[in-house]
Amino acid sequence: MIQTVNLTKEFNGFKAVDNLNLQVEKGDIYGFLGPNGAGKTTTIMMILGLIPPTSGKIFLLGEELRPNNVAIKRRVGVVSENQYLYKEMTAEEYLTFFGELYEVPNVQKRIEELLEAVGLWGDRNKKLGAYSKGMQQKLAFARALLHDPELLILDEPVANLDPTSIKQIRDLIEEENRKGRTVFVSSHILSEVERLCKKVAIINRGRLLAEDTMDNIKRRLTDTVRLEIELSQNAESLSSELSTLPFVKGSTVDGNKLEVHLQTDRDYRLDLSRFLYEKGFLVLAMKTKEMSLEEAFITITQQNISLLAREEGKA
Amino acid sequence: MRAVRVMQTLFKRDFLYSLYSFGYYVALFASFIVSSFILKNFLDSIGEEDILVSAYPLNYPLYITLIIISLYLVIISGVSISREREQGTLEVLFYGPVTPGSFLWGKYLKDLCLGMVALGFTAVYFYFVSLLTNLGFTLGLVKALIMSIFLLSCVVSFGLFVSSFTGRIRSSVLALVAILGAFLAIQLGYNALLGFEKESLSVPMLYVRQTMSYVFRGISWVSPFAYLNRGLDSVVLESPLLYVANIGYAVVYSLVFMFLSVYVMGKKGVKA
Repeated sequence: MIQTVNLTKEFNGFKAVDNLNLQVEKGDIYGFLGPNGAGKTTTIMMILGLIPPTSGKIFLLGEELRPNNVAIKRRVGVVSENQYLYKEMTAEEYLTFFGELYEVPNVQKRIEELLEAVGLWGDRNKKLGAYSKGMQQKLAFARALLHDPELLILDEPVANLDPTSIKQIRDLIEEENRKGRTVFVSSHILSEVERLCKKVAIINRGRLLAEDTMDNIKRRLTDTVRLEIELSQNAESLSSELSTLPFVKGSTVDGNKLEVHLQTDRDYRLDLSRFLYEKGFLVLAMKTKEMSLEEAFITITQQNISLLAREEGKA
Repeated sequence: MRAVRVMQTLFKRDFLYSLYSFGYYVALFASFIVSSFILKNFLDSIGEEDILVSAYPLNYPLYITLIIISLYLVIISGVSISREREQGTLEVLFYGPVTPGSFLWGKYLKDLCLGMVALGFTAVYFYFVSLLTNLGFTLGLVKALIMSIFLLSCVVSFGLFVSSFTGRIRSSVLALVAILGAFLAIQLGYNALLGFEKESLSVPMLYVRQTMSYVFRGISWVSPFAYLNRGLDSVVLESPLLYVANIGYAVVYSLVFMFLSVYVMGKKGVKA
């Protein structure tokens, strides 16, 4: 659905996007992550044909993107962080205007469906200047879906929204993806991306640091398995004994709670249980603690920053 | 065909909103007040001297009306793109099927139609004036009104061009004031220098006057208001060839500035 090949954008010699290669497949909910100023919005603006790349190619819906290729743009729906509405219009007038621009058949019926879906039907005759941030965002979703696009591009869709609105928007994205729409979400709110996305790309300073499924990214970054164990009694005395086990890479003890880092070459849980039993401890609960996307993101970006610092040092 | 439909949609929305705007009627009302004042003076002088000195008595009030309508149109067309850039609405339009061409031609049609509606009101106003004063609603006035459509086209395309390279409303207004002010200053300066005898000017001043004459000639092809003067003069001169030529110049001017605007807007992009 989206492919970028060595995409680069320079502003007065500064590389905002640097040889970026992305691949978004049909049906994905694809998370595009990066800290503020990483080059996410610049990349999206290039994908939408709003700014020309300095070099590289963009393929959108199977076709190479050319300036003013409106045939492709008609198959894409976009929601940006800021909604830029015509404040003097009502929601119904606004959607009718965009419906006419996109030549949507049975536009009034479609508007009714979408305003019902986003919960704005009751406010359809209110001027958009009186809409809250959350209402504006929902209306932007309705506008983006109006022409039944194959691809949805969302730039920070839940930034500055309250928790209820965030959940409504998230449900809407998932619902549209179930209907077969491909969704490209750019965000710096990692918890949201983690809940929504099957595949992510992480960029920093315009460079692609990782692009893979969520699980693969976490697996790649994890050199230990972390186990959280609840024991039958206080385990302070165990700390030094655990370090003698060859498969244990580290441990922390807090009362009867134990966190153990194990080697990843095979499953050592049975060995550990046996060891604890022999030492007179009964395991009440044991669970594997997974790396969160936030931890993965921080690890990857920090690795990248150190690498860049070394490169700059050499230069 | 799709681009035409996009243009129509943009035109319809903008035209209806502008037609309901207060400023439009303020400009029209102001133009009628000023031309009424000129007409009154004109009628007073006829009453005092008992002589009608012009074959086109309503053309000068029409010229003044046109100047005021043109000033209104050049400002609203001059801020039309920058306003959407500043508000961010331009970006949202360009996510979809809108291109610089369809957007600008939609704006052009909207502003030109606003000008034509204003000319319609003007024609009705002058018709009633002619009935009340016995000053003829002549063929010359009709020709001047038709010519005015093309002259307003020049004004609108010029305003859109200025708006195409400015990112904010304030910078558009400043650019318009600076450019039109410069045109006016050069014209006044040149006229002032023409008032001196050649022999009374020093050599450097003669060079200045010569240079200004070139600049003035150049400006007379760039300033939309110069087309206004030439166009209405062609009506008074009663030369069909000159009349058609001036319509042709206005069409070429409008096309050139519209294509330039599309090009500049494509380069400048959607951001303020």
